[in-house]
Amino acid sequence: MKLYSLSVLYKGDAKVVLLKAAHDVSSFSFFQRSSVQEFMTFTSQLIVERSSKGTRASVKEQDYLCHVYVRNDSLAGVVIADNEYPSRVAFTLLEKVLDEFSKQVDRIDWPVGSPATINYTALEGHLSRYQNPREADPMTKVQAELDETKIILHNTMESLLERGEKLDDLVSKSEVLGTQSKAFYKTVSTQHLPPRCSLQRTVAACCFWHSLL
Amino acid sequence: MAETNEEVAVLVQRVVKDITNAFRRNPHIIDRCHMHPAASKPRLYHCMEREHGSSIYKMRKNQQRRLGRKELILSGTLNPIKDLHLGKLALTKFPKSPETWIHRRWVLQQLIQETSLPSFVTKGNLGTIPAERTQRLIQEEMEVCGEAAGRYPSNYNAWSHRIWVLQHLAKLDVKILLDELSSTKHWASMHVSDHSGFHYRQFLLKSLISQTVIDSSVMEQNCLRSEPALVLPKDEEAAASTEEPRINLPHLLEEEVEFSTDLIDSYPGHETLWCHRRHIFYLQHHLNGRFPQSMTQLSPADSPGGTLSDLHLIPAGSQLSQAMEVDGLNDSSKQGYSQETKRLKRTPAPDSLGLEMEHRFIDQVLSTCRNVEQARFANAYRKWLVTLSQ
Repeated sequence: MKLYSLSVLYKGDAKVVLLKAAHDVSSFSFFQRSSVQEFMTFTSQLIVERSSKGTRASVKEQDYLCHVYVRNDSLAGVVIADNEYPSRVAFTLLEKVLDEFSKQVDRIDWPVGSPATINYTALEGHLSRYQNPREADPMTKVQAELDETKIILHNTMESLLERGEKLDDLVSKSEVLGTQSKAFYKTVSTQHLPPRCSLQRTVAACCFWHSLL
Repeated sequence: MAETNEEVAVLVQRVVKDITNAFRRNPHIIDRCHMHPAASKPRLYHCMEREHGSSIYKMRKNQQRRLGRKELILSGTLNPIKDLHLGKLALTKFPKSPETWIHRRWVLQQLIQETSLPSFVTKGNLGTIPAERTQRLIQEEMEVCGEAAGRYPSNYNAWSHRIWVLQHLAKLDVKILLDELSSTKHWASMHVSDHSGFHYRQFLLKSLISQTVIDSSVMEQNCLRSEPALVLPKDEEAAASTEEPRINLPHLLEEEVEFSTDLIDSYPGHETLWCHRRHIFYLQHHLNGRFPQSMTQLSPADSPGGTLSDLHLIPAGSQLSQAMEVDGLNDSSKQGYSQETKRLKRTPAPDSLGLEMEHRFIDQVLSTCRNVEQARFANAYRKWLVTLSQ
C-alpha cells in the first residue's frame, strides 16, 4: 500500500490555489518523475475544483484513489494513494494536516499563497510516516466517528467532468503542467487507444499514470 | 564473407565485455532505455545499442550467426552469474517478463548441475542442508523476486519463480521455509490485495506440513499423534547444534490466523485476506484430521455464495500448462473443489471449537464493519464454513 502525494489547497471562488505539496514518486522510473508530480498536482487541483465545500470524496481511477476533503472554510486537502491504502486512515491524515495547517498558517495568506510563500514544513514528514498506516495511526481500528461521515465515491475521474468537457482540453489549458508533461500526455493518450470514441479517449487519458509504471 | 567461429567468439567476447563494463559503470543504465510500456519483450541488447552505440552495432552487422544468451553461456563465454545480474536489471524494467524468469531458471539449473561442488551437504543430525554457495544463490533469488513483486501487483511470475527456487534449489529445507515465512510477513501486511504474496505463504505452510510429515515418518517420531510440544529453537546456535529443528505446526498456523485477523480488522474490504483465511483454516482442519499430503486448493470462487473475484486466483487450469508447473500440488480449481468436497464428506467434521471461533469472528466483523465489501466477504466466508461441516 502506498501514498503518492499529499497536498494542501485553497478553494477560491475564482480558482483553486495550491498552497503546499509533498510527493513520493520513488516507484516511478527516473525520467518520468517530474511529469508524474505535475500530473498529481493537476489532478489534485481539478478534484478540489469539482468538489463542494464541506464534503469528502474518493475518486477512483484504475489502481489509484484520490481522497479529498474540502472544509467549509475553503481549505482543502488531497491525498493520492493506491487501492490498498485504507481510506479511513487517508481521511484521518487529511483532517489532521488541515487542522495543523490552519493553526500554523494565517487565514489571510490562504487565497494568495503558493508553495514558495507558505511557511508549513510538516507535509513531507506526514507523507513519509503515513506510508505505514498502522505505525502512523495505531488507533485506526476505532475510527468509528469518521465512518459516520458520508464520503462520496466517484468511480472514475471522468465523472468529475461536465458533459462535453474533455480532459485533453483541461490538460492543454493547464498552467500547472509544463510543456514536456503536456507532450508526454499527448503521446501516451494517443498510443493507448485508437480515437474511435472520444469518451473512451478521455477515460484512457486519465490512465496515464498507469502507463508510466 | 564467412567468418570462423573463433572470430565470432572474439567479437562476442568484446560485446559481452562492453556490456559488463557499461553496467559496472552505471547500474542505472537500464533506466535510460526509454522503452514503451506496451513493448512485449525486453530488448536488452537493443537498449545497449542505443546507449553504447558502435561496437555492438558493428558486431551485429558482421556476424553470420546470431548467438543467443544460452549459447553464450554453454560455450563458456558468458558467465552465468553475470547473466543473472543482467536479468536482474532487466526485471527492474519488466518485472513480469515471462522470458526473463524462464531463462533465469535455465541458468540456475546450469549452475547447480555443472558445478563439481555439491549443492547440498550433510550436517550432523540435521540431515542435508544447502551448501553455502547454494544458500547465497537462494538468497539472491529471494531478493530478486521480492523486488519484482514490489514492482507489479500480484506478480504471479515472480512468486512462482520464488516457489520454484525453494523447490529445486532449496529442496524445501525447513529452516529456509521458516525464514521465508517470517521475512515475508511484513511485506504481506503492506500488500493486502496481493493474492500471489499470500498464496506464497500458503505454499510455505503447506510445505512445512508436508516436510514435517516426511521427517516424522523417516525419523519415526510421534509428533503428529500427540500434542507437538517442541518449539523451534530461535537462535542460530541451536539450529547448528546436534538438535534437529522441530516445528510447532499448530502454533505456526495459529499465528497465521492471528495475522489474518489483524489484517482483516485493519484493512476492511480485501478479498485476498478472506481467501487466505480460508486456506489457513483448511490447513488447520487438515492437520487436525491427521491427513498427509496432497492437499488440494479450495477456490472461493467455486463455493456457494462465492464472491466475484477480479483477483486472479491460485493456479487455474490454464496456468498449470506452463512448463515449470511450480505448484504441482494443485488441481485446477473446479476439479479440486469437487474432489475436496467428496473427501471432506468422508472425513470427520472439522474441529468444532475452531469452527465456533470462526463464527464468532465473523459475527464480530459483521457487527462493527461499515464497509459493504467487508460484509459481503464475511458472509461468503460463513457460507463456506457451513459447507465444510455438511
